Amino acid sequence: MTQPAPASPVYWRFNPEVFRLIGIKCNDCGHISYPRTKICHECGSLNLEEYKLAKKGTVHTYCVNWAPPPNFEPPITPVIVDLESGGRYQGLMTETATPEDVKVNSKVEMVLRKLTTDRGLNVYGYKFRLVEED
Amino acid sequence: MRGKVAVIGVGMIKFGELFDKSLETMVQEAYLNCLNNVDKGIDPKEIKAAWFGQWSGGFIGQGAQSGQSLASFIGNRDIPVTRLENGCPTGGDTFRHACLGVASGLYDVVLALGAEKMRDKPSAESLGGAGSGGGAETGSHPAWMMGQGGPAIQALHATRQMYELGYTMEDFARVAVKNHHNGTFCPYAHYQFELTIERVLGSYVVCWPLHLFDCCPQTDGAAAAIVCRADLAKKYTDKPVYVLGSNVGTDHSQLWDRNSLVEQLSSVKAARGAFEMAGIKPKDVDFGELHDCFTNTELMNIEDVGFARKGEAARMLKDGEFDMHGRLPINPSGGLKSHGHPIAATGLGQIFEVVTQLREEADKRQVKLKKGIGVQHNVGGPAFGVSVFNILSRSQ
Repeated sequence: MTQPAPASPVYWRFNPEVFRLIGIKCNDCGHISYPRTKICHECGSLNLEEYKLAKKGTVHTYCVNWAPPPNFEPPITPVIVDLESGGRYQGLMTETATPEDVKVNSKVEMVLRKLTTDRGLNVYGYKFRLVEED
Repeated sequence: MRGKVAVIGVGMIKFGELFDKSLETMVQEAYLNCLNNVDKGIDPKEIKAAWFGQWSGGFIGQGAQSGQSLASFIGNRDIPVTRLENGCPTGGDTFRHACLGVASGLYDVVLALGAEKMRDKPSAESLGGAGSGGGAETGSHPAWMMGQGGPAIQALHATRQMYELGYTMEDFARVAVKNHHNGTFCPYAHYQFELTIERVLGSYVVCWPLHLFDCCPQTDGAAAAIVCRADLAKKYTDKPVYVLGSNVGTDHSQLWDRNSLVEQLSSVKAARGAFEMAGIKPKDVDFGELHDCFTNTELMNIEDVGFARKGEAARMLKDGEFDMHGRLPINPSGGLKSHGHPIAATGLGQIFEVVTQLREEADKRQVKLKKGIGVQHNVGGPAFGVSVFNILSRSQ
């Protein structure tokens, strides 16, 4: 039997990013990134501020992975989303009837879902689901 | 570095599922082939330093191989040996570091050798191991990296190539058809069978829009090169091949930090710097070995390193320009796609191909030489943010 871990350091460390969507914005070049960082990945500036990412956006690109890593039931649909706040977020789609429902430019929003388990602990975070078009 | 370093010997073993060969056996065979390839002969003790390319040891079950592994395998424990890991460019960058060692003036003759054992684990486990090296398990962030690995990362690019550039799955499949055809002429290639567009598109979908035959295999292999001071090269060989340019380019480590997914800036920067060092332009190149880990990646690379404008590679491929006897042959060896991709051996296998072509010893897959210049390229690592580009020439 797998011994449950008392905590999962990587998931604990990224709590602010995962649940509150805290990233950074560079005051010099405008680049938005996450997890939070001390040096701008784009220009090297130290002049950064915390920046809350939006939960809504449009699909920049996607694929349908029929050979995912262990613990995932195929197919999974990874997406990279252009967020309304600026910045991009990478995650998985959820609640699609078929993968073909997802397209470039599809409108999506984040919803809290179980992502995986880490040595017996459930791990939660955001996935994306399609937003109904008006 | 331009013109200061020459390749005097190259050696490799047939890539494939080499269940009968250990990492040590593969290394030794590639090394001995490399020594024998120095046509005027070389005393192994003349090699004064070595760089050992090894990527997957820690990920696919052989433990982390450090410098002493190579020193011990080749029975030469009196020289400095450094193990190098730099993602999929490991092999090409191992070659570059050997060249830097000679160009620094510290050593006259050095060895670059890369070896990879990827098939001792079943396919899914091997691919998973490779993916974890790219951060697929938990990586830098739990939610964002999940479900990644090589096929997913490149499929995310491919979707965007289709959207922005109008590329189709047929365009991607055409890369596999070309490279598998070339591979049938290469005795070192992992796969030696022809493909058709229909067969590529009819194969299993691994990660839409990429099919099984859009993906390179997991492969065992080893390859090596001996390089020396250019002014000493004729002592060892009548056919030295000179290093004109060599560079590594870097970009973001995460896909979401990158602006464009139809261009890999790491490749753009690697090639630009190498061409600058060489003092030549892309049009001066006779042929290239470019990193076709996936079919869509070859089209992107052809554009990124300067052989086509963005969005034009698919049409040029269709017109036959990149065929073995086309205007600019790309991957006459069969490429990663059919030659195989034993990561740290891949780049040195490409160096082997470029040197063999420039010496006009490539037999049935010999390309036509005009200026006598060929290039080698790899791109990889998480988000494909690191790339190497080497330019070789038969004249100094």
